[in-house]
Amino acid sequence: MIDGRLIRPRDIAVRGEQLSQVLDNKHLMPLPAPFEDPASWPEFKEVKPDWRENYYMDLDGVVALDNTPRPKTPEEEEELCNKFLKGLEKLVNDEANKGMIQVLDLTVEYCAKCNTCADACHIFVASDRNELYRPTYRIEVLRRLIKKYINKEGKLKAWFTGADVDLNWETVMRLAEDSYRCNLCRRCAQACPLGLDNGTLAREIRKLFSQELGIAPKPLCEKGSKLQMKTGSSTGITKAAFVDTVEFIDEDLNDLYPGNDYKTPIDKHGADILLIHNAGEFMAWPENPTAFTVLFDEAGLDWTLSSDLCGYDNVNYGIWYDDMFAKEVAVRQMEAAKKLGVNRIVIGECGHAHKAAAVIADRYTPSTGRVPVESFLPLLRDLVLSGTYDLDPMRNDFPVTLHDPCNYVRQMGIVQPQRDILNAILPEGRFKEMYPHGVENYCCGGGSGFAIMNSLNFSDFRDNVSSRMKLKQILDAFGPEDIYNTDLVKYICAPCSNCKGTFRDMLKHWGLTKNYNFQYAGIVELVVNAMTKFDEPYFEFLK
Amino acid sequence: MLLTLLCWFAIIFFFAATVRKFIDYAKKPMHGRQDLYPIPGEEKERAEYGGSYYEDQKWFEKPRKKNHVGEIVDMLKEMLFIKKLFVKQRKFWWISYSLHLGIYVCIAMLVVATAGVLLPFSGILAGLVALAVTLLGLASGLLICAGTAGLFVKRLTDREFRSYTTPQEFFNLGFLFAGAFSGLVAFASNKFSYGYVSKILGSMFRLKSLKGLNKPTKINVLIFCGLLIYIPVCKMSHYVGKYYTFHKVIWDNAPNVPGSKVEETVIAEADIKPSEDMKWSAPAMDK
Repeated sequence: MIDGRLIRPRDIAVRGEQLSQVLDNKHLMPLPAPFEDPASWPEFKEVKPDWRENYYMDLDGVVALDNTPRPKTPEEEEELCNKFLKGLEKLVNDEANKGMIQVLDLTVEYCAKCNTCADACHIFVASDRNELYRPTYRIEVLRRLIKKYINKEGKLKAWFTGADVDLNWETVMRLAEDSYRCNLCRRCAQACPLGLDNGTLAREIRKLFSQELGIAPKPLCEKGSKLQMKTGSSTGITKAAFVDTVEFIDEDLNDLYPGNDYKTPIDKHGADILLIHNAGEFMAWPENPTAFTVLFDEAGLDWTLSSDLCGYDNVNYGIWYDDMFAKEVAVRQMEAAKKLGVNRIVIGECGHAHKAAAVIADRYTPSTGRVPVESFLPLLRDLVLSGTYDLDPMRNDFPVTLHDPCNYVRQMGIVQPQRDILNAILPEGRFKEMYPHGVENYCCGGGSGFAIMNSLNFSDFRDNVSSRMKLKQILDAFGPEDIYNTDLVKYICAPCSNCKGTFRDMLKHWGLTKNYNFQYAGIVELVVNAMTKFDEPYFEFLK
Repeated sequence: MLLTLLCWFAIIFFFAATVRKFIDYAKKPMHGRQDLYPIPGEEKERAEYGGSYYEDQKWFEKPRKKNHVGEIVDMLKEMLFIKKLFVKQRKFWWISYSLHLGIYVCIAMLVVATAGVLLPFSGILAGLVALAVTLLGLASGLLICAGTAGLFVKRLTDREFRSYTTPQEFFNLGFLFAGAFSGLVAFASNKFSYGYVSKILGSMFRLKSLKGLNKPTKINVLIFCGLLIYIPVCKMSHYVGKYYTFHKVIWDNAPNVPGSKVEETVIAEADIKPSEDMKWSAPAMDK
């Protein structure tokens, strides 16, 4: 095993040994109170012998690719290398990769290796500067493989240009795994003096593996995109089950607030707004879609949900690893909106769904005839600030910190509406910004699918490494005085389903809800909780 | 005469190869959107904190307000001062900026020297031009030598840099150093004057052979021509790439709305398809 800080690009081809060990408390970033003492840090999962036998753990002792068995014979190893090379050829082909070739070419060609991106990466910093997680590492490997095996540079030129990475099956497996050690948050690209995008290229590597070798984590592919195309949702919830679920949560809502007759409209033709939630909300956090129902109903909006295939789930995991899935799902979601004849699609509290529907899908097809897409945040900001609801900020009299989801903050520029809302519904001094925040925020650590990847020991990587910087930010935002006051609720406002999933696991892993009264949810719940119309608080933890 | 022709060839090659690079990137198919905020072309108030038109309800019904001045100012900050490096990595910026500033000063020196050759300056003005050429030339040489030497040492001695630096990248620094250092030697051998630059330019514009140059000056001219030919074909042509990465990729948040140029391109490029053997196997979708 090599010290993580000493790994070089060509070491990715080392045979027969694990390159590095990331799950090791000696090397992880220190944390503030109440976790100053590493002895208070949670234990890692024990690696079972059959994991090593069946999966590839020789990158850093962690497995993301839970659908990819180790090759068993030299023939399988060779086949893996050949398929990878074929995929690499397609990745750098103008036609095969037409939507990304310019971005890929620029980053491969021009990186000055100034390392400015490294300190912007929360995973690299949290892992004590393990080279495997440096934003340029996996791209430098890719660059050297392209030079050596695609450009087929002669020996002298290969030496001159540094094309020294050998291709073997371990190189292929390690590169595949390493592409899932990046949250694709693109904070590195934001720091790059040349405007290059190592984050997006990490996704290009994932794409090569999915689109040419069929390699992608099960939670994203089999249990994600494929399930969504088959049943309509990555949760597996079918149309009939979806309609039942909505009826059920409407009943719960009317039980909570008797005297009201809230009803979530489904398939209302010609409505102004089609609201699309992340369907995971219905299963894990039904109070979120319920809050939307209250707010939209109280505002008298003309809105609806869709029960059409893909129309009731805004997720699009393809944007993390596969262009084909991404396009297919986006097109189906658009079809659902067109079928209802709505004027606009409003995306609920889901970060990647914002980016998928509004930005990534924007250039898939001509815009004429398409339904425009917007975020729920400007709409909600306008409703709150125009006095649509009678709100009492004192009902939210506890410290609240705001997490900025990378997908719609750094990558869509939606920064201020959520702050305007919080300032209107919280008592003065209760809103605690994290630092840095806004477009310079850190990812929650669950971005690009990590939030739903729990196979084998991957959750250890997420809960201890990739979300470590966010944990530190949260602890810093509240400060020891508030943290040790266990009567005081500390609320993490995370207006994004995947980020919420990360916080759910983070708070559990570190015992923060149980021991220190940390809570998490979205922003719409806070607005409903501030409504004077209701006697009961909206949050269970306030009752 | 050969040296004169080589100088012209190097200059023409430099511009032709640079234009070719621009054209090559311009001809690439339109990429998917890669917006990354802050985008300085957004409305001024929003650009300051990284906001965008997506902060408006029904954004698609409102005319887009572009802040072209903001975009140009931000671009100039990045081009002239390497602002991001200054903010994020100050120590490294000092050596990197020394090199880049040296190159800008060298360009300024060539512009002043060319003006001195082409325009009918005389008397004090001609003296000022000669002084400016010498001062700029000296500053440029010193800055480039300091920057390249600093970068070379940094890349050689800092493990985090050394692992990623290729022999070619060391060569590039060495080549630039050689260009600047040979210029300083030529300067010293010409009685501490860069007057020879004006002399060379004068001969070039009159298409006459470069006579009377001493050996150090000839070596300097040869290395300089070599650099002009080499820079646009290697990674040092990042002045081309930087235009695209910022303007055409991370700052390009133009939405695909009906009747827009983006929509026209989407329609026009719909027919770009890979050949059979370049189609993705898509095993994940088929499984």
